[in-house]
Amino acid sequence: MKRIDSIIRPQNLDAVKENLAAIGVQALTVTEVRGFGRQKGHTEVYRGTEYAVDFVPKIMLTIISSDDRAKEIVDAIVAGARTGKMGDGKIFVSPLDEVVRIRTGEHGDAAV
Amino acid sequence: MTKNVVRRSCGWARLPGRAVLLVGLLGVLLRTGFAADTPKPDPAGIATGDKTTAVDAGGNAFAVPEPTDKTAPDYAKNKKDFDEYQAQAAREPLAAKLADSVGHIRIATNFAWTLNTGYLVLFMQAGFALLTCGLVRKKNAAHLMMLNFAAYVFAFLAYYAVGYAFQFGAVAVNAAPGNLGGTPTLNHFLIGSGQWGFLGGNGFFLSGPAYDAGSNCLMLFEVVFMETAGYIIVGSICERINFWGFLLCELFIGAILYPVFGCWVWGGGWLSQVGATLNLGHGYVDFAGSTVVHAVGGFTAMALAVILGPRLGKYGKDGKPRAFPAHNLVYVVTGTFILLFGWMGFNPGSTLGATDLRISVIAVNTNLAAVAGSATALFFWYVLFGKPDVTMACNGMLAGLVAITAPCAFVSPTSAVVIGTLAGLLVCGGVLFNERVSKIDDPCGAISVHGFCGWLGAVCVGIFADGTYGSGWNGIGAATYLGHAGQGVTGLLHGDTRQFFCQLGGATLCAIWAFGATFVVFSIVNKIKSMRVPPEVEREGLDIPEFGMSAYPEDAVVTID
Repeated sequence: MKRIDSIIRPQNLDAVKENLAAIGVQALTVTEVRGFGRQKGHTEVYRGTEYAVDFVPKIMLTIISSDDRAKEIVDAIVAGARTGKMGDGKIFVSPLDEVVRIRTGEHGDAAV
Repeated sequence: MTKNVVRRSCGWARLPGRAVLLVGLLGVLLRTGFAADTPKPDPAGIATGDKTTAVDAGGNAFAVPEPTDKTAPDYAKNKKDFDEYQAQAAREPLAAKLADSVGHIRIATNFAWTLNTGYLVLFMQAGFALLTCGLVRKKNAAHLMMLNFAAYVFAFLAYYAVGYAFQFGAVAVNAAPGNLGGTPTLNHFLIGSGQWGFLGGNGFFLSGPAYDAGSNCLMLFEVVFMETAGYIIVGSICERINFWGFLLCELFIGAILYPVFGCWVWGGGWLSQVGATLNLGHGYVDFAGSTVVHAVGGFTAMALAVILGPRLGKYGKDGKPRAFPAHNLVYVVTGTFILLFGWMGFNPGSTLGATDLRISVIAVNTNLAAVAGSATALFFWYVLFGKPDVTMACNGMLAGLVAITAPCAFVSPTSAVVIGTLAGLLVCGGVLFNERVSKIDDPCGAISVHGFCGWLGAVCVGIFADGTYGSGWNGIGAATYLGHAGQGVTGLLHGDTRQFFCQLGGATLCAIWAFGATFVVFSIVNKIKSMRVPPEVEREGLDIPEFGMSAYPEDAVVTID
């Protein structure tokens, strides 16, 4: 099983969601996050004093998938989230030890 | 972290509590009894307003008073007028009775006016609370709201106990509010007398001579003005002052600081009489309180901000300021609009009567200065920094409002626009100056908006007043002034130099009084016990350590049965 965390621009969430629905991904979790990479922040002025707006608001999507589906899910996300400009985001794929469905108690691939 | 903060139950109330007790004893000791020939208070309002208060649009009384001074030059004419009136009243007794009713209704109209404009000013409390809350960091939102709230509560009590008596206890001597029936029972100076009064002395705890319909009407109106000065300080001392220290400030403002200067200017005190005593124009003129209210608040705020010092992290080791951006601009703008709305009570209400039709000019002037101030600040900031700053647009509007508050009744609409523009520039300069040069940390710009622009407003009376209103102000020139009949308060641009110097001096005196008295008293208080919260409390935010609750508690972890 794989855990796929994607940090994307908030305005691309809808496009990514549609792409994922089209390939049959039924579940995901969304978190509002802030961060910066090469896009960096910038400075603004508040009442005459400069301050740094370092952290840019982003959306983090968390999706659990079986090993064989991970690549197509990543491709779907990239297709929906890429604009070609700096700040498009990153996707992290990591191995997952265990998944449990709370309602039924199912484990492993059955719970994905 | 919060578990380590000891809950000193009501520990914060000890010092202000003792202050109230002392002041209360003082009030009881000073209460004076009645002599047989002194005016009687009218608590039910059934003896206020009669034919003597029936006047026409020009202020001419229906009932002609009997001339008492046989040596006066126009005695013969006045005696003839009085005799004619007596004869006519004898022929038409019904007309005289009707005049009693008319006079009563005039006073009633003015009571309604004064009370309702007073309620508008009361509503400004909500505006200022929103404005200042929005301008500070989220972790201090409850603290800001509580400061604004407690300011109203405690300053009111101090003013009820002694403040009103200090300020208006002698108002009938030189400045009887004719529009409200004259409040004749408020006629005793505690310190001073005649045209050199320094502190009023009737009406402690609103009892005895002050238990009177007219006096209560005046009190309601004047207390909300005092409250305005009271909450202004919140804008500068927030995010680091502790609660008991703040309560002491409010008691001090309501009991002593505000009433003293207020007595000098509005209570018939010496500063209003320097037209007669020192030949300085119409005496010191401040129509609705640019200095009496706003400069007092602003310079008190300045003194407290200096004593407290800047917020942690506001200035780096190199001395450069850091920005603490506002946490909610929605509150800031809404609060500003509410203040603007309330100012429609603040300025026009200061006629104390709807029967004074200058109220329309006052209302328009107030708005013009507001928008001129905002537009100027917006444009100036855009030129300087490339983007229009929402908070400076709001501060600009308030600066215009503060600056027009003194001259609003005496100037033309175009002058109001000029005054607003000057205020817009001054507030921008003031904010930058305090931030970068004087390094007095002023989170909401209260020192610039209310202190500096309040001073400017009073000086503008001495520049722009055009003589179309205020004939007989402070008892000067009722017949003629500067050679013209009916000439009112006049400024430099219309030929009155003495008025200008009077305004300059009075406004500066206000700043010195407010800053000086506050600095002396609270430097001592701060030495005895620090009025600043501990650094770890300031870092966490004052909401939970001071009040045990957050303005925006997270609702994530909630158990539902």
